[in-house]
Amino acid sequence: MSQRIFGVVLLLACAGLGIVAWGYHAPFSYEPVGPRAYPLLLLTLMGLGAIYLLVKPSSSVSQDDEPPLDRHVVRKVASCVVIFAVYAALFEPLGFIPASLIFGIAMARLYEGTWKTSVISGVVLAVGLFVLFDKILDVPLPLGILSSLEI
Amino acid sequence: MDTFSYLGQGFGVALSPYNLFTALCGTLIGTVVGLLPGLGPINGVALLIPIAFALGLPPETALILLAAVYLGCEYGGRISSILLNIPGEASAVMTTLDGYPLARQGKAGVALSISAWSSFVGGLMATCGVVIFAPLLAKWAVAFGPAEYFVLMVFAIVCLAGMAGNKPMKTAIAACIGLFLSCVGIDSNSGVYRFTFGSLGLADGIQFVVLVLGLFSVSEILVLLERTHHGQKALDTSGRMLFNLKEGMSVLATNLRSGVMGFFMGVLPGAGATLASAVSYMTEKRLAVKDNKFGDGDLRGLAAPETANSAAACGSMVPMLTLGVPGSGTTAVMLGALTLYNITPGPLLFRDQPDIVWGLIASLFVANIMLIVINVPMIKIFTKILAVPYWALVPAIAIITSIGVYAVHATAFDLFLMIGIGVAGYILRKMDFPLSAILLGFILGGLMEQNLRRALSISNGELGILFASPITWGVWALIVLMIALPFYRTWRKRAQRKADAANA
Repeated sequence: MSQRIFGVVLLLACAGLGIVAWGYHAPFSYEPVGPRAYPLLLLTLMGLGAIYLLVKPSSSVSQDDEPPLDRHVVRKVASCVVIFAVYAALFEPLGFIPASLIFGIAMARLYEGTWKTSVISGVVLAVGLFVLFDKILDVPLPLGILSSLEI
Repeated sequence: MDTFSYLGQGFGVALSPYNLFTALCGTLIGTVVGLLPGLGPINGVALLIPIAFALGLPPETALILLAAVYLGCEYGGRISSILLNIPGEASAVMTTLDGYPLARQGKAGVALSISAWSSFVGGLMATCGVVIFAPLLAKWAVAFGPAEYFVLMVFAIVCLAGMAGNKPMKTAIAACIGLFLSCVGIDSNSGVYRFTFGSLGLADGIQFVVLVLGLFSVSEILVLLERTHHGQKALDTSGRMLFNLKEGMSVLATNLRSGVMGFFMGVLPGAGATLASAVSYMTEKRLAVKDNKFGDGDLRGLAAPETANSAAACGSMVPMLTLGVPGSGTTAVMLGALTLYNITPGPLLFRDQPDIVWGLIASLFVANIMLIVINVPMIKIFTKILAVPYWALVPAIAIITSIGVYAVHATAFDLFLMIGIGVAGYILRKMDFPLSAILLGFILGGLMEQNLRRALSISNGELGILFASPITWGVWALIVLMIALPFYRTWRKRAQRKADAANA
């Protein structure tokens, strides 16, 4: 069933993107193909694939070792995505260390760490990775609210 | 004799203290990355790219680092397979079948050392193969024009689907998704913004580091949620650590056969280490007539996949270096790294930048030797790493992944994009779509479109140019063969089932 739903979604996406792609044309062109043909070709192929999924969804999803989803897992996955999104939103305004501290603790809790271990690992990760990447490996990370401290 | 002088020059590059140190770091990182669940060669290599940039590594050093990590992963993947029965990465799945039973019988040390030895033999054979075949292929590939390249890339994509075994259609769709994603952003020929929907962050296209880390790290983190547990107790590695001569001899034939097979599977675009290890395991199982204990701890069953996956890892360097068409997901990432350095892999690379090519090839030898040397004595340390519980491991992977993504452009937009791609990747994975096909499609997509448009510019829009030269005819024939393969396989399966039904 989920295969069919996916097929429909993919087909609709292909159609929508196809309509968008139809409008692409170069104001003046040096070559015969233009920006439109290649994406349209791919969308057509993908659409055909989606139709195939609709007509003949494979029954043997259990082939691979991915365990089936249940409510509990879905809730966990959703909260994980939310934590990630919050992290992305806080990354620049708060700075790397505070954002990672919050993120690290929340993630550790999600993966069934106790409060104590989560807080410890959060602090260690946030500070340790900042030192490792920003100071040793020269990857610049945002300081955010800590920028006044001039680390 | 040219080859040898070039190889000597390559060793000159690879043996410089700086590059030796880089290779050593790479092998260590690779082994750890390979044995940890949630990190595989693909995202391990992708994570290192921004770091290599930030450190200002020269291209050959960066490439040596990435190659060492790649090889190290193939070594590391086997440790968790043998001791925990959990493959550290996809190509080590077959290793669990005989490795874990061996460890249960108290022969973990023997299993680990013989698999390290097998990986070494496989890697060595395949590197020799690279030395022999890569220059030949490069010489031949100089004659390729845009039309030939386009057809070759079509072959790579079709090959991916044709070799995918049980789900050719899904692989094909995944590859198309990847190809399509490469269209996002400004079109370099006409300056038209495609599929950006007004977003400035997408104007430059999707950064491939973002795609890789989203697809492979974020989705893996979500998958790990389903298996939350507090680290696993690894089986004990007490007892004999080294295999003896008799055991070594018993797997020698297997090593040689699987090495050759792994190399050629690695060279084929899209097939890669996972398939090579599976095919060689099956072949050895069929060939073993005398005391066949496959499945409950046969040394040959351990040696075959380990030899093959290392050989395939090295073999997949051949098409990457000579044609600029990646042979596996990880080489696709390396190809992306090269493009970031403004180096276009392809036949001309052999002529214009022999230092990079031969330095890389020589460093494959060096890394292989380092790996076997560090793997046997350091196995106790590596098994300690396996005991790290998820609540400490996963946040660390997640934060490092975010740093890797942020480091590319220093925009938070990329972080959101990564999360979006990760969620999509998770859903696709649940639907049984192979994610590495998306990645290969994405890397090939841009090249494919450029070559198609260049070819059609030459012929003024005439499609006939795609069928004009003997090379294209040959490749088209292979494409047809590859498309026919899954159909043939279903037909044969159906025929077999019918025969079985008739017999019953």
